[in-house]
Amino acid sequence: MAQKGARPYDRIGEQVFAKVDKINAELFTLTYGSIVTQLVKDYEDLGEVNTQLEKMGYNIGVRLIEEFLARSNVGRCADFTETAEVVAKVGFKMFLGITANVTDWDAEKKEFSLVLDDNPLTEFVELPESYNKLWYANILCGVIRGALEMVQMKVEATYVKCVLHGHDVSEIRVLLKEILTDEIPASMRDE
Amino acid sequence: MGIKVVCASVIGKSNNPLYIRCFDSTEEALKFHYIVHSALDVVEEKSTAKKGASLDLYLGMLYPTEDYRVYGYTTNSKIKFIIVVQEDGDSHDQAIKNFFRKFHVLYANTVANPFYTPDDLITSRKFNEELEKQVKTV
Repeated sequence: MAQKGARPYDRIGEQVFAKVDKINAELFTLTYGSIVTQLVKDYEDLGEVNTQLEKMGYNIGVRLIEEFLARSNVGRCADFTETAEVVAKVGFKMFLGITANVTDWDAEKKEFSLVLDDNPLTEFVELPESYNKLWYANILCGVIRGALEMVQMKVEATYVKCVLHGHDVSEIRVLLKEILTDEIPASMRDE
Repeated sequence: MGIKVVCASVIGKSNNPLYIRCFDSTEEALKFHYIVHSALDVVEEKSTAKKGASLDLYLGMLYPTEDYRVYGYTTNSKIKFIIVVQEDGDSHDQAIKNFFRKFHVLYANTVANPFYTPDDLITSRKFNEELEKQVKTV
């Protein structure tokens, strides 16, 4: 994909990734795996598990964004397309060590797809047959939603394809609902 | 390389079979089940025989039958891998050891799946496919 403008986000992503602390990948994968299986045992309804994972992700996202902004030194994004690139190339690289690809923009540039070739969360995982409704890495959708909300963008992120369901790549669809103007985010308002 | 793995199996802690797969369609699977089961006695013998010095995980040839040889490999978590091979000529110990190592890694990857509980039967499709590939390239 041709990079728009002169901002080489790939390079920025790699630089930041080199500076942050790393954790053993297997430990990370196994920890996430046990979270998901525990949720499945507790809630039994897979749709509910998806929702809970998204909520957990949201809580992670609202905190993660500060770390991201502090470490990556990426300035303001001119528009949503730039935001998408930053999330895919710098954000994902910094926290998961992978780069995602941004594809399938809609006509109004308010919706895009994040395509992940491989995902450390799903390493070694095989879903049993009856788990078709489960979006295993749904926590990522929540993280995206939480992080972008803290930078005044209200988005909806949903999984549309997942390697664990037999697709060749994983794909998250991100839709921009609105740009927020100085509102207190819902989670803090209700407390 | 004159080796052909005709049967590969994973046995659990209490000698319960977790996975048995036969790659030779000409023979009855039951015969291999029997061979593997009798091999378990030899495994017991070998693991308790050496006093003190903890051996290699690789147990070597367990016993020969008319057409086949049985090899074993144990892990510290009491999981045993037993394979039945058909080989012509001298034993290719190194190749067998390599196969066991890869088999062990494959098993570890399957156990890493959060949806798999240890000591369950191994039904993972990935495990099956990978094992087939390994058997072909032994």
